[in-house]
Amino acid sequence: MTNLNGIVEQINLLEPIPAIASQIMTKSEDPDSSLAEIADLIIKDPALTANLLKICNSAYFGLPRKVESVKGAVAWLGLDQIVELVLTNSVSGKFNKGLEGYGLGEGELWRHAVTSAHVAKSLAHRYGASQNKHLIYTAALLKDIGKLILGRFVAFSFEKINILVHSQGYSFNDAEKNVIGMNHEELGAMVGEKWSFSEKLIYIIRHHHLTDESARQDLETTLIYLADIICMMMGICSGTDGLSYRFYSDVLKRINVSEKDLQAIIAETSENQQKIEHLLKLF
Amino acid sequence: MGKDQRNTNAVSSMIAVNFSEMKISSNPVETLVAFSIGSGIGMTIHDPVGGVGGVLNFILPDSTKANGSNPAKTPYMFADTGITAFLKALFEQGAKAENLKVVIAGAAHVLDQTGVFNIGQKNLEALKTCLDGYDIKIHHEASGGTQSRTISLEIGSGASIIKIFGQEEEKV
Repeated sequence: MTNLNGIVEQINLLEPIPAIASQIMTKSEDPDSSLAEIADLIIKDPALTANLLKICNSAYFGLPRKVESVKGAVAWLGLDQIVELVLTNSVSGKFNKGLEGYGLGEGELWRHAVTSAHVAKSLAHRYGASQNKHLIYTAALLKDIGKLILGRFVAFSFEKINILVHSQGYSFNDAEKNVIGMNHEELGAMVGEKWSFSEKLIYIIRHHHLTDESARQDLETTLIYLADIICMMMGICSGTDGLSYRFYSDVLKRINVSEKDLQAIIAETSENQQKIEHLLKLF
Repeated sequence: MGKDQRNTNAVSSMIAVNFSEMKISSNPVETLVAFSIGSGIGMTIHDPVGGVGGVLNFILPDSTKANGSNPAKTPYMFADTGITAFLKALFEQGAKAENLKVVIAGAAHVLDQTGVFNIGQKNLEALKTCLDGYDIKIHHEASGGTQSRTISLEIGSGASIIKIFGQEEEKV
């Protein structure tokens, strides 16, 4: 087993997300906070504002005229979209790199993160969690943050992990835990604690593979799990871990996802992928 | 996933076939690739006599079951409409049913994903039913399991190559 302190210390070396991004994250997760409060936060940060306006004025959105203020951007695109862009922009630098151990090339973890965030948002609408759509989007985007640190340890122990997964029926996250002593969900939750994420966001990151039975009762965590499963099934930048995670059909039944629904969501994701490819180029 | 990568000066060129897409070529320097296939299926078909081949990358078994999507717009998303259109396009390019070499990769599943939610298995069954209708045999099949696969077809040699991360590639 690897020295866990050595892994945990790596959290300190990970450059934290900007303070403004975590403030916006906290505000956007709170259903009671007003959209105007979030817009105010963005306006107070000139660098963020400049970046946001550049994105809003890109060909992707095809706005009829140039937007020159946050207020204007909100008026054209709606604050929900603006919040999403700010959150996505604030973490893009971290996720855009390649990831050894998980066999992901440059940009692949990022493509997976953004696609699963969009799938999760769509699931939030379908399954009655719209009031928490920002939390769900953010959680899907950040759920694999632990992989950023664990990657090199997975690379080092890859053969052992691979044997457990492919000869002994372990899920990839259970094999990580068994061989390294920690899996990417636990490590991701520790990053979330260090960066003062909300309790709920940390909870979702820690349980996004639903290994803990109690998490299967939680709607938001379930939706992020399901978005992840859908991306795995579609092969959206799956790496060495592939589809080696556990499937819980009772969870799908509990939130009333039929086989037909699952297929419809996959079809919808496929149809939206072109748009997401264009979106990825903005960051 | 990936972008089209065409380099006309290169000795060989690689063309990505994303999910819900199909591509056909008779250019011997081209290799068609379907990257990172999960529960969908990457299917290569080659006619060595006609020198034509293609790759279909579908993700769902049945065009009538995915509510809200329009199979007329996205025929290659589904086994039923995709394989029919794929074969039709190959025949139009001069391929003959009796010459076809079919190789498939994919139909993986998430651990414990059994029964109705095992879309990979359903994709495989739909593919076989469809090919049976044309009396076309599968030359080589790499399916099931929990690993994602990449399959490519070299138009020049007619060889299909299947890759799984961390394993030796299979060339058939």
